[in-house]
Order: sequence, then C-alpha cells, then structure tokens
Amino acid sequence: MDKLTSELKERLIAVLNLTDISPEDIDEDAQLVGGELGIDSIDVLEMVVMVEKEYGVVINNKEIGERVFSTLKNLTRYVRENSPRFSS
Amino acid sequence: MKYKRSPVYIAALGIVSPLGTGTDATLAALKQGSSAIAPLTLFPVQQQPPLPVGQVEGFTDTQSLPRTHRLAIAAAQQAMADHDCNLNGVYVGTTTGGIERTEQLLAEAKNDPVDYIGSYSYHGLGTVAEEIGRKLGCREKLLTFSTACSSGAVAISMACRMLQRGQAQWLLAGGADSLSFLTYYGFHSLQLVDEQGCRPFDLSRAGMTVAEGAAFLLLTNQKPEHSYGVILGSALSCDAHHGAAPHPEGKGARGAMEKAMADSGVAVDTVDYINMHGTGTPDNDLAESKAVRSLFPSIPPLSSIKGMTGHGLAASGAIEAVLSALCLQYNILPANIGCETPDPECELEPLTATRSRPVSTVLSNSFGFGGNNACLLIADSENEKPVTAEDNAPLSIVGKSCITGAGHTLDSLGNFFLLQSMAGTLDSSTMAEQLPLRSIRRLGRFARMGLALAAAAKNDADIEQSPHAVFMGSGWGALSETWDFLEKLRSTGEQFPSPIDFVGSVHNSAAGQIAIRHGATGSNVSCSGGDSSFEQALLATEAFLGTETRYNTAFVLGADEFHPHFTPLLDPSAMAEQPADGGGGFYICRKAIPGKVAIRSCFYEQTSETVLEHLIGALGSRETIRTQYAMILAGIPAAFAEEGEQQLDLFMRETKLDVPVIHYRKFTGEFAAASAVAAVMAAQLIESGEVPNGKGILVLGFGKMCTAMELIMQ
Repeated sequence: MDKLTSELKERLIAVLNLTDISPEDIDEDAQLVGGELGIDSIDVLEMVVMVEKEYGVVINNKEIGERVFSTLKNLTRYVRENSPRFSS
Repeated sequence: MKYKRSPVYIAALGIVSPLGTGTDATLAALKQGSSAIAPLTLFPVQQQPPLPVGQVEGFTDTQSLPRTHRLAIAAAQQAMADHDCNLNGVYVGTTTGGIERTEQLLAEAKNDPVDYIGSYSYHGLGTVAEEIGRKLGCREKLLTFSTACSSGAVAISMACRMLQRGQAQWLLAGGADSLSFLTYYGFHSLQLVDEQGCRPFDLSRAGMTVAEGAAFLLLTNQKPEHSYGVILGSALSCDAHHGAAPHPEGKGARGAMEKAMADSGVAVDTVDYINMHGTGTPDNDLAESKAVRSLFPSIPPLSSIKGMTGHGLAASGAIEAVLSALCLQYNILPANIGCETPDPECELEPLTATRSRPVSTVLSNSFGFGGNNACLLIADSENEKPVTAEDNAPLSIVGKSCITGAGHTLDSLGNFFLLQSMAGTLDSSTMAEQLPLRSIRRLGRFARMGLALAAAAKNDADIEQSPHAVFMGSGWGALSETWDFLEKLRSTGEQFPSPIDFVGSVHNSAAGQIAIRHGATGSNVSCSGGDSSFEQALLATEAFLGTETRYNTAFVLGADEFHPHFTPLLDPSAMAEQPADGGGGFYICRKAIPGKVAIRSCFYEQTSETVLEHLIGALGSRETIRTQYAMILAGIPAAFAEEGEQQLDLFMRETKLDVPVIHYRKFTGEFAAASAVAAVMAAQLIESGEVPNGKGILVLGFGKMCTAMELIMQ
C-alpha cells in the first residue's frame, strides 16, 4: 500500500471516528459512501473539509464529490492529481 | 371522557424580520414582493466574500442584551403594545439563544470562569423567555422550545394546547434567533447555503439563506375585541430518519400536515393557501413537495417567503405564523420570490407574484434538523362545531433509567439507597456500553447520554414496542459539539468548521437521535430552562402526548453533560462541587395503570416573594399537602443555596409538613438535569415501598424557578 493510501485511511478513521476498524479493514475498491462502513452524506462533508485542510484540494461540487468519494482508490487518485503537495 | 376545546384567538402580532419591524412594514414588503437578502454586514468574517443572509436592520447596541434577546423583546413588546392582559406565560422557540455573546467572549479570550462566569449566562436558551418575562412583568410559565427550525411553531403549538384545555387564558408565543458565527458557518459547512441567495422550488436552487428575526403572537381563549384569526389546530411529528436531512418522501412532513388538519377538524379542500417551509435546499423542497402532493388531491396556492426573508431558523415558524395571520386579515397571498423556473420534479407552481384574493384558511409548515416537524392551521374564524378532545389521563411510569457518576440505573440508585453520593462524570465507554458503537461514532457525550437513557428505560419497561414520542429537557444541550465547532472555526481562521460538530450542536440532537434509533415518529420536543429543563419537558409531555392507544407512549428525559471548558463558564452551580453530569428518563404511557407510579407537573413559576403562596395554592391546600405527601426531594442549585434553603424552610413551616426532606443534589451532584435523576429516585422510593401506601413524593425545585412534580402510586 502506498503512503498516501495508508495516510488517507488513517485520516478517515480519525475524522469519522471509526474506532472499531483498523486501516487494513478498509478495502480500497469497496463502495465508500453507503457501503459497509455506514458512511453517509454528512461524513462526506467532513471528508471534504479534511481533504481541503490537509491536502489543499477543494471539492465543492456534488457530482465531483460523488465520484471522488465513491471508493478510497478514487479519493487517493483525486488527491494525488489535484493536491499542491504532489505537484512537481 | 371528552372535553370541549376552547378556541385559540390571535389577539395581537409582533414581528421583527429582514423585511422590517412591525406588521405594517412587513405587509408593505410582502405586497411589494422584494427580497431583503443581501451580503452579511452584521459582523466581520474572515472568509470573503460574505455570504448572502437575511439581516435585520438596526438593533446595533452591542452593550446590552445579546441580539436574539433584543430582537425577541422588540417583537414581544409590539404584540403587547395595545394589551394590558395578565400573561400566563411566554413560550419561546430558539435554537442558539445568546450564542452571539458566547462567541464574542470566547473570541476575546474572556474564558476564566472566576472572572467571567456571569457574562456567559445568556448562553442558556431559557434566558430569552426570562428577559421577555422581565420586560413584560410575567413570572408564570417562561418556557423554551428548541427543535431547530421548527422551534417557533412548536412554541405556538404548545400555547394552543394550554389554551384549548383552559390551562391558561393569555399566552405570548413565538420564536427568535439572531445571526451568529455558529449558524452562518454551520450551514455553510454543510454546503447548504446558496451563494446567490435562496430560491425556493427553483430548478437551479442551491440551498438556503441563513437569516434572523423574531415574532410573537398574543394568543387567548377569551374572545378579544379584535382578532387576527384563530389557530384551529396544530401537530408535530418526527421523521425519525436522519439528523440533518429530511425523509426523501416527506413522510414526516405529510404526517404533521395531516395531523394538523385532523386536529383542526377541517378537510384538506378547505385550505386556501399553504405557507411552505421551502428553505431552498434541494432536499427540503423536493421532500415537502412530495408531502404536499400526496396529501392534497387539488393543490391550493402556495409559496415560501424565504426567498424574501431568508431562513430565520427558530424564528421562521413564528414569522410565518404572523405572516399567515396577515394573509387572512388582508386577503393576500405572498409571492415565492426567487423561483423563476419551477423545478419540474417538485411538480408545484408556487405563486410568482403577490396576489389579492379572499383567504380563510392557511396551513403553515415548519420543519427542522432532527426531522422535527410542526404544522399550524390558522383560519379567519372558529369552527362552527366545537371540537372535542380526549381528557387528560395520568402519565404512568412503565420504565425508568438514570445515569450519574456512579454508573447506570442500578449503580446510581444503589449508591443512593446506601446514602452515598453518586456525583461524578461517568466514563464515556461505560456510559455507551449498551449502544452499538457504529451508530454513535458521530455523537458527543450529550446525545450518547440521551440514547443510553432511552435504551435503558425501554429495557426496564420490558416492552418490545418503542415509545411513539420523545420529550427531552436539557439546561445546556450539546456542549462538546458546540465547543468543538467554535474552536475549530477559530483555530482555522474560520476556514474549516466541522459539519459533524454543527449537526451535533443543535439542542435537539439527542432527541432526534433517540427518535431515529427507536422509530419514534410522534411529537419530538426539546426544552431548555436551566435547572428546570426536565420540568419543562414534563409540561410539554402533558400538553402534547395523546391518550389514543399506540400513540400514547413517550420517552421523557432530562440530561446534561459536563464539559471541562464550557461548564465552569456557564453554570454557576457547577463551580461549587466536583464535576458532575448525568440524567434520568422514563418510558411513559398516558393512561391510568394501577400498580404503576404516575408523574405529574404541579407547578412552574419564576421565584418571587409570592411564589410560595402560589405553589401551595397549586398543590391544593395546606391540609391536602399534609395528607398527600410522605417525602420531599428538594433541589436547591448551589448558586441559589441561601435563597433556596429559605424558600424550602418557609414551605415546610407554612404547610406544617413533617416528613423527611432529601436534598437530592447532595447525591446527584450539581448539574442542570439533576431533577430528572431526582424524579427517578422518587419513583424508585415509591416502588420499593419506602413511602406509606397511597402517599406520594414531591420533587421541589428552588432556584431561579420554583417547580413541583408529584410522583404517586396509582
């Protein structure tokens, strides 16, 4: 698992207070919102805040949000492609 | 047993909104159909440009009371200007009370409890009603309802029930909220704010506009010389679906509208106009449209005025009740400003312009976070046939629970029966041990406490079916989330407020979560009045809980959390003792059940020189008191120790009552909802046979308010 993926998993657990799971329990390809973790629209907004605060990536469009937060893999990719932290 | 309900006349109106101050200015703005929505200027914000808001002009004196209080007093005084009546109460809906003052003090780092404790007193939601009471000379029931954006309508609905039953003759009811950092940034963090200003039911609508204001209705069951109309009926419901989103099919909204019609005794085809909640958020407007379409075979003219005023939160239900009365009085239907292309999915045609036409019956909708819905039906004249209603039945306790520093019910009451203190703060994991971890991950201490109390009361009742309604009292509400929200806002230069904290910060967050967990779709009411908050919840239960089987059950709860930073600033009683919090709750059934303890609210009035006389009068006579009660549980908050002891002493001497007196706060510790624990202690004492057969226990409160609750075996 690459560094950003594992970092995002840890941040998700912290920000959504998913105290009963560990990073390895999050399947990168599994449905994130509405999936087994019980993540809903309010959690998405909290993740939007986290992604902007930690990575400088602004998501203020519902359609983009739905795509980005569909799976952890998509979230990782979007952050990597759009964060000033990863721009060369 | 049925009784004839008294009609509820609207004797006078008071309104302060972004449209102007007073009914004349409001009416002129309505006729003109112009929007008052404009970028925020009330306070400076770091995130630019400022968002559009609905701001009230004037009221800029920042040295006196907080803005919510000032707006509320202005509207209340307008309503009372031509009336010299003896008010039996002031019922106020508010969501954030004096939060603006709290925000200001925290921003100035005035956070040393020793120096600043008094400055934070307006954080208590109950202070709005208390300040109005002080201005108007009313010491009777000063009650506060905090059910998010339906608060104002809930306060009016409560007043209607008291007047219909003849339990009051003149009441002032309404709502007030000022703009604040909490609500301005909170709704923004939920991406619920339309940067163009709200456009209810428009195809491209993108959210609400946060606003402020206050409105009050002087209501009476004595036919006044001039009346603005009659409130024929009202109803509450709860979506029991989500903390911040409406039920997608508008199920709870429809339920409240339907029940309001039934309560009023009118058919749907008599409604001439629907004043929609219509916030402008995609979800609300769609859900409300579905609810209206499913209930009305032929849809009457309708509009949301929030495109003109913005969303005044707790004030909105009251502002729109005033507006509905103006529609009846002047035969106008206001325009739905902001809706240029109606959303075809809503399948509604909101009024594009203000119209003149005869209006006799108006339905006004108010919905809020926590799925709290309230609907009012207002008409130009009373029903031809008098409406009858079921008579009151006792509130039987079928299950009970409490949480204190000593633990859950058994541990807490175990300590009490050993005459040991139960004061303290129970660790979070023990408190929530019976709750599914995943379902509470977003909840703070207050909501967890509420859920744990409800689950334990249901468990104790040993009934499979959960109660239908929820009534909850809390002096301070969700302190953890409120503190965290403000702290994150401050520490990130107002850039990263937390949406989860905002949703959790509302006063009715716990009651809403309880409804979701237990499928409680009936009335859902959160009250707040400092140390008498549980007593207020009990009053609300008596007013709202029906006797019809299947719908006659409720959770009645009181809870307060200790917060290490906030509590010492807010609660002067908490300074004297070790940190303590907790609460108590009941599974209540509204029918006589022999062999079960019944709980009843006997008295609620602001402390004054004459209060004891009134208390004794309300309890019957000195002799009845001596024959009826075998024990007193007295609650004297530490901040009122001296005066409270004097009142208690005088009460015992006056009544010549010679029974054991237990100072319950010596056991529970100092926190606002301690009286809820005391009620549970009293029920347990009676069930354990600690008082002689046929005798009851009085739970008295001697603080800012003087209160009495009676528990007695049936």
